[in-house]
Amino acid sequence: MQREVLIVGVNHRKAPVEVRERLSFADGRLQEGLRTLLTLRPIDEGVIISTCNRVEIVAATVDGDDAVEALTDFLTSGDRIARGQLAEHLSVYRGREAVRHLFRVAASLDSMVVGEPQILGQLKDSYSHAASEGSAGTVLHRCFHKSFSVAKRVRSETGVAGKAVSVSSAAVELATKIFDRFDDKTALLLGAGTMSELAARHLLAHGVSRLMVANRTFERAVELAHEFQGTPVPFEEFSRYLSMADMVIGSTAADGYVLTRDRMQEVLRARRYRPIFLIDMSVPRNFDPSINELDNAYLYDIDDLGEVAQVNREERGREAEKAESIVDAEVETFWKWLAALEAVPTIVALREKMDAIRKGELEKTLATLRDLAPREREALEAMTAAIVNKILHGPITHLKQHHREHEAFYVAAARQLFDLQEPENQ
Amino acid sequence: MSNVLLAHALAFYLLSTITGVAHLVTGQDAMRRWAFALLACALGVHAGALAVRAVMMGYEAVATFQDELSFIACIMVGTYVLMAVVLVPRADLTVVGVLVTPLAFLFTLSAYAFNSSTAALPPQLQNVWLPVHVAPAFLGYAIFALAFCLSVIYLLQERQLKAKRKSNLFRRLPSLETLDQLNHRFVSWGFALFTVGIITGTLLAKETWGALWSWQPVELASAITWVLYALLVHARHTGWRGRKAATLTVVSFVVLVVSFLSVNLLFPGKHSGSFD
Repeated sequence: MQREVLIVGVNHRKAPVEVRERLSFADGRLQEGLRTLLTLRPIDEGVIISTCNRVEIVAATVDGDDAVEALTDFLTSGDRIARGQLAEHLSVYRGREAVRHLFRVAASLDSMVVGEPQILGQLKDSYSHAASEGSAGTVLHRCFHKSFSVAKRVRSETGVAGKAVSVSSAAVELATKIFDRFDDKTALLLGAGTMSELAARHLLAHGVSRLMVANRTFERAVELAHEFQGTPVPFEEFSRYLSMADMVIGSTAADGYVLTRDRMQEVLRARRYRPIFLIDMSVPRNFDPSINELDNAYLYDIDDLGEVAQVNREERGREAEKAESIVDAEVETFWKWLAALEAVPTIVALREKMDAIRKGELEKTLATLRDLAPREREALEAMTAAIVNKILHGPITHLKQHHREHEAFYVAAARQLFDLQEPENQ
Repeated sequence: MSNVLLAHALAFYLLSTITGVAHLVTGQDAMRRWAFALLACALGVHAGALAVRAVMMGYEAVATFQDELSFIACIMVGTYVLMAVVLVPRADLTVVGVLVTPLAFLFTLSAYAFNSSTAALPPQLQNVWLPVHVAPAFLGYAIFALAFCLSVIYLLQERQLKAKRKSNLFRRLPSLETLDQLNHRFVSWGFALFTVGIITGTLLAKETWGALWSWQPVELASAITWVLYALLVHARHTGWRGRKAATLTVVSFVVLVVSFLSVNLLFPGKHSGSFD
């Protein structure tokens, strides 16, 4: 019986949102789910990950085949979905693949938008719920903590995270290159549109403190301002407010430029040339492109932003390869630890280590006591062997006795207390 | 003793430069931390070397041009470290460090290579006005050097933003606002110190040679540089910021370096290494 980590569930790669939402463990159901999970016979430890992109059960077991069965039943229980229907969307990861999958999820390599940072927080929540319910044990504690450190390594050593791959996040990224801080900055939203609202939302989420909204129909401006807790301003006079805005998002349906170079020149003078970032989200464009030639004015249109996002996407692909090799290496380390997490090899290793120490010390002593008779030597030999046996008796009995869900804990403790190395290859 | 320490400081500067560049190329966070740690080591050893020198030789520790450069380099690095740790701990200023460190390396190398401890400082110069002149002047130079580095990076960043080209380096540059504000602060401080240095310098000249102003090359060069920086400080208040301010900072510093070099190397007058 090989102790293993396995993952059964659905994720965005194989399962559409209709399936994922039916299986999801909303907050109230998570606790109950974890408790049920613990009662399943082949499952020693379990964590439920439920986000909008995945519902996956991570489990530790010594009986993999039964565990997969049990978990599939668990997912289909309560008439959530027919077993046959689930089968085609179900993903099962076993052995090293399961560990790799968890690490990749944590490092955001398996996300819909690779590198997005939310998943790590969600994973930490899932884990801490399981930990407080007591459903995560020695193996999953280690496995999840390892996955968090893998995520951290991937974040700091590769460029997978921290790159903006959508147009609106590209706008935020550019803004951070112009402005040191956002909390003393004001944004002006010109016109309404899905893209521009998204960009405004992004800027607000990153701490922009004030938002002004101008729209041709004032009611819409009021509505939007209310939604963003901003201030509506009359569209006809928007250029008066430009001198107060540090970031301007344009998305009006106007045919010509609503902001010309000359007007911008005046605005800049009024601003005493404090930098201003203009984001033109509309087609045809709202802002005269030559505004970008003015000092301290930075104008990006939708194509520029798209290009930034595209370049980032390509780089992210390259960085992902680096990240995968980090994951591979960490999977191997974890796997070695897990493979050694069994009573019999641990007992053997413990005996070998103690015996080696005993023999080493005995040899040293005998070297200084050259005139001992063979009988006396044998007596010393027997005595030291007896000491080692007596000392080891307690620990070894414990290691042998324990039922399998505690075994992992005692084995892990023994390996650590006696500093036993993991074998080179299992 | 002080030369052995100086050699170690040089090694640290070099290693810090290499790891700093490695960080910029690979993006590895560990490299960034190493670069900073090595720079801190370099600073400690360098300061130690200068302290030993000052104790052993007194005023003559800064008798030659190269010694002056070494002092300035040390102050510059010290100010950078202070800036990175205290002033703007939020921003990643590694790029500035990668510019400052090789500069410090070159300055210190010249002091190490042309170590001429025999240069004698005329006794009449060795009065109380010397440190009062030298300290603010050096501090001013060092801070101007730092402002120069900040401006170079500002120009780089602003070019990338305007051209809408994005290199990997781009991600690691601090924001324009950070660079501009730091530049403003440093130019103001540098200008204040430089002004004090000039005033005490003329007083020192009066004490030593009996005249406040004697049309020495160094006096002319300082006056020109002072005017340029005065212009820069003034222009800030009339809305000159960003690219223009950065460009003028670079120009001013180039003028400063050229005049400093030419005064000391081409026109050996009263102020340079040979106090004839």
